Amino acid sequence: MEFSKEDIAAVYPKVAATLADALGCDVDQVKLDASLIEDLQAESIDFLDLVFRLERAFKVKIPRGKIIEDARGELSEVEFEQRGVLTEAALIRLKSFLSEVPPERIKSPLKATEIPRLFTPETFCKVVLRAQRAQVMA
Amino acid sequence: MSGKYSAFTFCDRIIEFVPATSARAVFLVPAHLGEFAACLVAEAVGQLAAWVSMAHIGFRGRPVAALAGETRYFGAVGAGQTLGLDIAIEHCDEESVAYSGRATVEGHEILRLTDCVAPMLPQRDYDEPEDLAQQFELLRGPGALPGRFAGCGRPALTPVEVEGDKRRVTRLDVPTDADFFSDHFPRRPVFPATLLLDSAIRVACELVASPSRSCEGHWRLTRMTHLKMRDFVLPGQSLALMAELLATSDETARVGLTARVGERTVATARVEFEAPGESR
Repeated sequence: MEFSKEDIAAVYPKVAATLADALGCDVDQVKLDASLIEDLQAESIDFLDLVFRLERAFKVKIPRGKIIEDARGELSEVEFEQRGVLTEAALIRLKSFLSEVPPERIKSPLKATEIPRLFTPETFCKVVLRAQRAQVMA
Repeated sequence: MSGKYSAFTFCDRIIEFVPATSARAVFLVPAHLGEFAACLVAEAVGQLAAWVSMAHIGFRGRPVAALAGETRYFGAVGAGQTLGLDIAIEHCDEESVAYSGRATVEGHEILRLTDCVAPMLPQRDYDEPEDLAQQFELLRGPGALPGRFAGCGRPALTPVEVEGDKRRVTRLDVPTDADFFSDHFPRRPVFPATLLLDSAIRVACELVASPSRSCEGHWRLTRMTHLKMRDFVLPGQSLALMAELLATSDETARVGLTARVGERTVATARVEFEAPGESR
């Protein structure tokens, strides 16, 4: 496991508050395992907003496209997707990388453009934790 | 390129430029204009940030209005006065730009934008990169001809629903043809977000000036927060502009704004007003 429950719990309140502010919803509506798109009606512009807000809230740098890049891991682009659809290797990699997402939600076939539909508040807790870790190591 | 970058372009000359970092510019508000709305001042600041960010990526992409964390309104610019524009880029690459900026008149700050973010979209869908590069060089050099902006009018608003002094819904019919579409944008006309907001703010002004509130005079717009543009508004579309009172006191009023095309929410923001007689 990349991060412990305690690691996630340490950043979650601020991530949830930032998410609620970005989406204009009540913080009580934000659940750790909610789908940002399906449950909280987030759109692509909200992800851009969220990343900038998290950078300010946690004083970290989160390179754009970082989640997808990290999701790909060591797989090349061709190994990860073909004609916009994730390969079997990519699905295995994604289930491990997005361990907070129930595996049954990561269905085949899955288009690369559909990956953000899987994101939850916990996904962004991990984004923050990785950014904090990178900052310490820099 | 005769006439291009005149109808809805608010920068005459860039007087300081640090690539990908900051810029200062000036824009003369033509003396013949009756007024130059605050939304156009904000547009001018945003456009300067757009020039800097587009130049940074060789004009391959352009930012399109998306998010503004906070806009503060301190004053107005009059016809015949020169706007000073000043922006600082926080982040800028092929994907997005983040910036803050302000506008001044004779050294006095009249508007401040903070925490603005926009995605960069493919330039060729909207304009000719070569034309933009050429215009940018002109702005950085001798400058464009001042006073070329002819004004852009305000679309008529049709009241649809009034719920006491709590909520108003008004229809805005976007024109199918208008001069500003030639700049915004040459290859793909889009109704400027700032003009949409100008109309939405007018609806909010009517709401807070409701006769049921006791004080007389004009409530002054002081702040806009949480601006989020979610979709393009196209020529000929009909918009429902909703203003909803969120909180009010003797001194201030806070209003939520939503703009919809059909069922689709295309823009949201919150605005704050100061009661007549209250000062900054």
